[in-house]
Amino acid sequence: MQKQLQEQIARLRAAGAHYVDARWYPVEETNDLMMWNGNLKEASASRESGVGVRVLYKGAWGFSAASDADQLGALFDKALDNARVAAERITFPIRLAEKDAIRATFESPNAINPFTVPLAEKLAFMQTMDAKLNQPGVFQRICTLTFMRKQIIFLDSEGSEIEKTITEVFPSIEVVGLDAQGEMHSRKFSPPRMGDTRGWETLDMEIFSANAERIVREMNEVLVAEPCPKDVRSVILLPGIMFLQTHETIGHALELDRILGYELAFAGGSFVRLSDFGTLRYGSEKLTARADATIPNTPGSFGFDDDGVPAQNRLLIDKGLLVGAITGRQMVEEANVRAGRRIFEGSGGANRATAFYRVPIERMTNINIDPGDDGTLDDIVRNTERGIVLDGDKSWSIGSNREQFHFATDIGWLVEDGQITHVVKNSTYQGETVPFYNSLSAVGDESTWEVQYTPNCGKGQPNQIMQLGHGVPVCRFDNVRIGE
Amino acid sequence: MKDQILQTLHDLRAYALAKGVEATFLYHEEDSYLMRFANSAISLNTNEHLIRLDITAYKGRQRASYSLITALGNRKEMQQGVDIAAEMVEHAQPLSYDPTVPVYTESFSDESAFDPALAMLSNEARLAYFNQASAGLETDEVQLSGVFSCGWTIFAQINTRSEHTQYFKASDAQITIVLSHTGLKWEVIAEQSAQHQDDLKPDALHDDLAFLVDHYQHDTPQQLPLGTYDIVFGPAATAEMLGMMGYIGYSGGAMKRGFSFLNENQVGQCVFSPQFTLVDDPTRRETFPFQRDMMGIARHPYPIFTEGVFQGFIWSQDDADEFGAQPTGHTVPHRSIVMGGGNVTAGTLRELVAMPRENDILYIPYLHYMNIVNPSKGLVTASSRFGALLLKKDGSIVVPYNVRLTQSLLNVFGDKVAWLSQEQVAYNTSSSYGARNPRATIVPALIQVNGLEISHSNSSY
Repeated sequence: MQKQLQEQIARLRAAGAHYVDARWYPVEETNDLMMWNGNLKEASASRESGVGVRVLYKGAWGFSAASDADQLGALFDKALDNARVAAERITFPIRLAEKDAIRATFESPNAINPFTVPLAEKLAFMQTMDAKLNQPGVFQRICTLTFMRKQIIFLDSEGSEIEKTITEVFPSIEVVGLDAQGEMHSRKFSPPRMGDTRGWETLDMEIFSANAERIVREMNEVLVAEPCPKDVRSVILLPGIMFLQTHETIGHALELDRILGYELAFAGGSFVRLSDFGTLRYGSEKLTARADATIPNTPGSFGFDDDGVPAQNRLLIDKGLLVGAITGRQMVEEANVRAGRRIFEGSGGANRATAFYRVPIERMTNINIDPGDDGTLDDIVRNTERGIVLDGDKSWSIGSNREQFHFATDIGWLVEDGQITHVVKNSTYQGETVPFYNSLSAVGDESTWEVQYTPNCGKGQPNQIMQLGHGVPVCRFDNVRIGE
Repeated sequence: MKDQILQTLHDLRAYALAKGVEATFLYHEEDSYLMRFANSAISLNTNEHLIRLDITAYKGRQRASYSLITALGNRKEMQQGVDIAAEMVEHAQPLSYDPTVPVYTESFSDESAFDPALAMLSNEARLAYFNQASAGLETDEVQLSGVFSCGWTIFAQINTRSEHTQYFKASDAQITIVLSHTGLKWEVIAEQSAQHQDDLKPDALHDDLAFLVDHYQHDTPQQLPLGTYDIVFGPAATAEMLGMMGYIGYSGGAMKRGFSFLNENQVGQCVFSPQFTLVDDPTRRETFPFQRDMMGIARHPYPIFTEGVFQGFIWSQDDADEFGAQPTGHTVPHRSIVMGGGNVTAGTLRELVAMPRENDILYIPYLHYMNIVNPSKGLVTASSRFGALLLKKDGSIVVPYNVRLTQSLLNVFGDKVAWLSQEQVAYNTSSSYGARNPRATIVPALIQVNGLEISHSNSSY
């Protein structure tokens, strides 16, 4: 198959294409299991294979994909034809940043391939979890297991040939209860990064059991709690909500295609302008953020992106100053030209596609906040006069330029004079991105830092779901509106 | 092609029966084309032709499914899928209820929502549409974005309980055009949904865009003070809120699981404005309807709210099986939701602007990134986007920076409803996640709701 693909790539180059690549998925398989109140509501598996072809012709992209690999010639022709039409309306001829031709392989680390584990064993895990969640106060209990495995063979007209095998495991447990007014409240657990591999071994019964007990206890505390007051306070975000804050208001805001206006018709733009790089005080000096695809074992580490660029660790925000973005080969070239200065040195290796039938776009890798020197969670609480500790991603809504946001969390703990006083329900907070990060007043140390996984980040048209990670510490922000 | 598809399904049924496997088969085929624009250029021109097969195997109370992306001629791979589903169901844990396996009493075929001219629209035609809709509106600073998504979709079904088949074929197009200012970052939008080539009207989009661009270029932008406003919602905003209501409102399964702001005691009660009527109406072709559900139940107009009175929950087959309810024909890839119109003749932004008004009116055509804050209260939050206007009572117009609304759907569609347009609009609510599934919601062109609070107001675009 590789030989046939290389022949087609060469044929299109001879026909005038400036650049051609092909992603062949010999296999992509998934296994989704969901047990709801003890009922196995979903026991599904899937398998797909196919080829996606991307052609750059006279400065414009054409893309075509098909599951039927028997018609390779027609598929490549269609991609070229799509590019020819696109070339009729271009304003900035696409150029790609330089990269080396790479011949390499990558395999995400797992000790036990989850696709070798019998269904009965997976169900036994879920039944055990379901039983542990079946406690007083619990109205609904939900246990999900998602397994993904994809083999991707990437070839391009610049001589690269890369084979990747990516395996993902996303387990979660959740409980739902009803308070005296009949309002629902939930608490959930998805394991953060727990070591250097993420196969079936992720499903550590001891860790899940302890967290099952915790989320039931915390949900029952919420059921009898007072509502979150409408107030202005310090908010202390635990990693279970800080990851999403980072995702929505640093990650998406710093995708270079969004900054350049390529997502305006759907996902939105970014408040960030090219002139902001090197000048915008994005946050306080306590804020250092990076796009790090080199951490072993997270969905945001994938060896090579779908441009064939090796994974990298790049600063985004350095002690509060905006210095970088999430980038691929195309956008860095355009951004540097538009800015009239060299902001970006080569691709950041962040161009990825969700499937063979989608085109690669800039996606988050592991968008992380560096740990700080403000101690443990207890230290931060002790040094907070009036605050609220928040955890659990219940709801999130962000302005179209990522300039403002509203989050609801599963649980809140009010803090008065350095001590946690009591739990509140229906906790929310909102703010504006830049003032919010400039109010960052405490960043927890390594003991508070966790890599949370995001299994379902949506972006693009046609829409794409991507898996990634966020390494974040506990963070405290001051003067934040809560309870609205 | 239809014959080949149905024959393939018959062959798979025979294979399953020979193996003693109880199974249902859902065949999905799409031919999708998407031309995407950004920065006044075509940023991507793509197409996919994909065939999916979903196989669900049953063994008493056990159920398991297997799906694959395949080729129509790849019979062996499909048969392997049957074998895998059969193997999975052997190990599946039994449900606490009996899942219903469909029995089709007759074969059913519906291609009425398929227009070959729309399905086969050329690259050149899509580009010409965009050029016409944006003609003369682009400048160095005002740039074009958007998508022209079109294609056709086939759903076909069979099961081992009967030899009858169901077959649905539809064509669709979804067009979004955005004009945005590169420096100021304002953005305005016009959208169109098409089921038939005749639905394509680029001049209408051009008219909408020209009106909005004129105001955004010449009217004074302003940060709105926080407080309550009389708000007129456009079709996109209304459809978005109705979509949320479908998740946390009248779904029987959601209600039973505690995810609804409605309960069984409210059936027959007035919960919304008397001006609010909502029907699932599969006779409206603009919604790309299913006149049979996936279980073979004939679908007819199904009233959900009539003049504010809640008529009853909808039940998919699986929820009905689990909770002992009667299925209502709602095991469908999408519903055909239609919100009734009112008695106000204004149906366009221009007509709204021309209407006499006693108070300031905040026009919000589009709500961005809506999410559910509290499902038990119907509380949702979202921000305005794409062409909001403040129509002052003195006749002047101000361009407001975006604002955030955090409101209960009970408020938005409740007693605060002032009026609805007579004219209804089909708003395309398709997403391009996963398998192609064109859908649209029919809503009044405009609805005014008085006294809604905005909880945040941007200080710039």
